[in-house]
Amino acid sequence: MLHVENLTASIGDTSILKGLNLDVGAGEIHAIMGPNGSGKSTLAHALAGRDGYEIGGTVTLDGVDLLEMVPEDRAAAGVFMGFQYPVEIPGVNNMYFLRTALNSVRRARGDEQIGASDFLKGAQDAMDLVEMNHDFLYRSVNAGFSGGEKKRNEILQMAVMQPKLAVLDETDSGLDIDALRVVAAGVNSLRGPDRSMIVITHYQRLLDYIKPDFVHVLVDGKIVKSGDHTLALHLEDHGYADFVNHDLDDAPLTGAPA
Amino acid sequence: MNQAALAFRSAALEQMASLTLPTKRDEAWRYAPHKALGQLTFGPATATDAVLGDIDSQIPHIDGPRIVIVNGVVDSAQSQLDTLPAGVKLVSLAGMPADLVESALDRQHDTIDDAFSIINRAYGEGGALLMVDGRPAETIHIVDIAVPDVSQNASASRVVIAMEAESSATVVETRIGHSDAFGGSNVRTEISLAADASLEHMILQDLPTTQIHLGRVDVMQEAGSTLRARLFNLGSDYGRVAYHVHLDGEGAHADLSGLYFGFGTQTLDQQITVVHSAKNCTSRQSYRGVLDDSSTGIWNGGVDVRPGADGTDSEQSNDNLLLSRKAEVNTMPRLEILADEVSCQHGATVGQLDDAALYYLRSRGIPNEEASRLLINGFADQMMDDLESDAIRSWITERLGHDDA
Ligand SMILES: Nc1ncnc2c1ncn2[C@@H]1O[C@H](COP(=O)(O)OP(=O)(O)OP(=O)(O)O)[C@@H](O)[C@H]1O
Ligand SMILES: [Mg+2]
Repeated sequence: MLHVENLTASIGDTSILKGLNLDVGAGEIHAIMGPNGSGKSTLAHALAGRDGYEIGGTVTLDGVDLLEMVPEDRAAAGVFMGFQYPVEIPGVNNMYFLRTALNSVRRARGDEQIGASDFLKGAQDAMDLVEMNHDFLYRSVNAGFSGGEKKRNEILQMAVMQPKLAVLDETDSGLDIDALRVVAAGVNSLRGPDRSMIVITHYQRLLDYIKPDFVHVLVDGKIVKSGDHTLALHLEDHGYADFVNHDLDDAPLTGAPA
Repeated sequence: MNQAALAFRSAALEQMASLTLPTKRDEAWRYAPHKALGQLTFGPATATDAVLGDIDSQIPHIDGPRIVIVNGVVDSAQSQLDTLPAGVKLVSLAGMPADLVESALDRQHDTIDDAFSIINRAYGEGGALLMVDGRPAETIHIVDIAVPDVSQNASASRVVIAMEAESSATVVETRIGHSDAFGGSNVRTEISLAADASLEHMILQDLPTTQIHLGRVDVMQEAGSTLRARLFNLGSDYGRVAYHVHLDGEGAHADLSGLYFGFGTQTLDQQITVVHSAKNCTSRQSYRGVLDDSSTGIWNGGVDVRPGADGTDSEQSNDNLLLSRKAEVNTMPRLEILADEVSCQHGATVGQLDDAALYYLRSRGIPNEEASRLLINGFADQMMDDLESDAIRSWITERLGHDDA
């Protein structure tokens, strides 16, 4: 489904992603872990299409080149990114935003527009999924939301958008224990044979709830180790020391499973 | 015309003889188009022959009393003055009964110094007089229409609003123009609020962009009174509204806010002065501007705290969104404090569309242009958050070219 080959990203003279390879098959969940500043969010933004980076390499989704597309076209192609830091947009009503988003991708795909009342029903179901009070629909997007509420709002958006590929950047950070369970349940219910997910996290605990098919370790702009969910347990016990102490440029490293 | 009115008028006409128009050196007129101002021609109010057609499509649909003033002359056919709510007098200034003259003239508002206020005194004999002694539920609508004529291209008119003690009312002044010819209007509003009176006053300025609007609002507030003044400054090539609010009685409160939204080569100018003369008064100024194309916004907001006005509490904010490299805004908070235990805060911002927010919206599939519009409207709509009238809200959103959520 998602094919990433030799992806590089830099800003000015700073190179952040340094030749990253990753293949995510349909229905798979891949977890990405790695130290602060290693480039996890940059990878997410490179997939979602934020400008400001110089990008090299190849990224395709079901064979379609994503790198040439603007963010809205990537969304229409089925990419959804859950932001590590969701943006507050005062004055823009959450429901209006969600409906505009859904209808925009539907228009881009040639699907019919969804009317306000049908949309409301769907949105309320999605809110129940993440146990979010319906009042949040009538507030401004993320404005004044607590950290945890913002993260729930991201999952709500994912549930409404029904993407092909979801990239969730630290959706678990800032969540209390109950919220973590709720968000994980929301993610699991959206799991399906046609939906792939990349879950970026610092905590093995999330992976107890959302069991990944693969775990990758991202260090200094590259994936330096890939494995199954037991790799996360190893990291929990030993940290990243095993990976960052190597001379990364010379060490023979396993890439992502092809 | 009766004696008092005549004396008043002739004094102003005398001043006219030595009239000098404001220049760039006058701080309050610094960004005005001085050349165009000099081309405005005024004269005594005269009914126009122009056929106005359907004015309802240009103004909000507000149920309730309405007075329509065309070139300073009340148009009874377009007005709705038959069934006024209890405690409301709404009449034409020109034909008003003698006992009301006293209320309408010589209101001891601060000395008139600028040329256009003098012109308004000299020629603005027509307009509306509203006296409220009660708490009418209906919104009172005052519509001013400028129709450039061959003999004089600009109109002068006045609105006088007197709120008796403990009265309360909502008044909307919609100001529009007819035809695309050069011209404009010069409207002065004088408001007095007796003790504990409360007034919600709104100006919707939407003259054609070929015209000029010069508005001035003078307010005198007695103890415990509340003013809520809102401005939607949208039309005109040069659209100006100046507020002079005097908090004369203890515990008076003035809450002024507004939105200016400029396109093309528009210049939208708000000049605000709130004078705290009594103890424990509060004032708020909260204005937002959106400037596109080569438009210019001006916000000159002042608070004067006079000696003895201890316990003053004031806040000012002015936030601007520039949508184009050629757009410009000049924001000037002014503060003069001559009293004790005073809390005065002010802040001003000028920014562009937030890139992070734009990206966030686009990442959800919303195309760039629509995402920008959403952000702009979101910024502007916050000035309507506590607007109760749906009619006015929808007029504004329609006027700004967006549908509401
Ligand atoms: N706009 C930018 N300009 C310069 N450097 C940047 C910019 N954005 C990111 N970086 C740098 O790129 C590196 C990777 O950042 P990124 O946000 O992708 O890290 P991360 O792995 O998500 O970290 P964390 O775990 O803390 O979220 C960091 O060193 C960061 O400082
Ligand atoms: Mg990150």
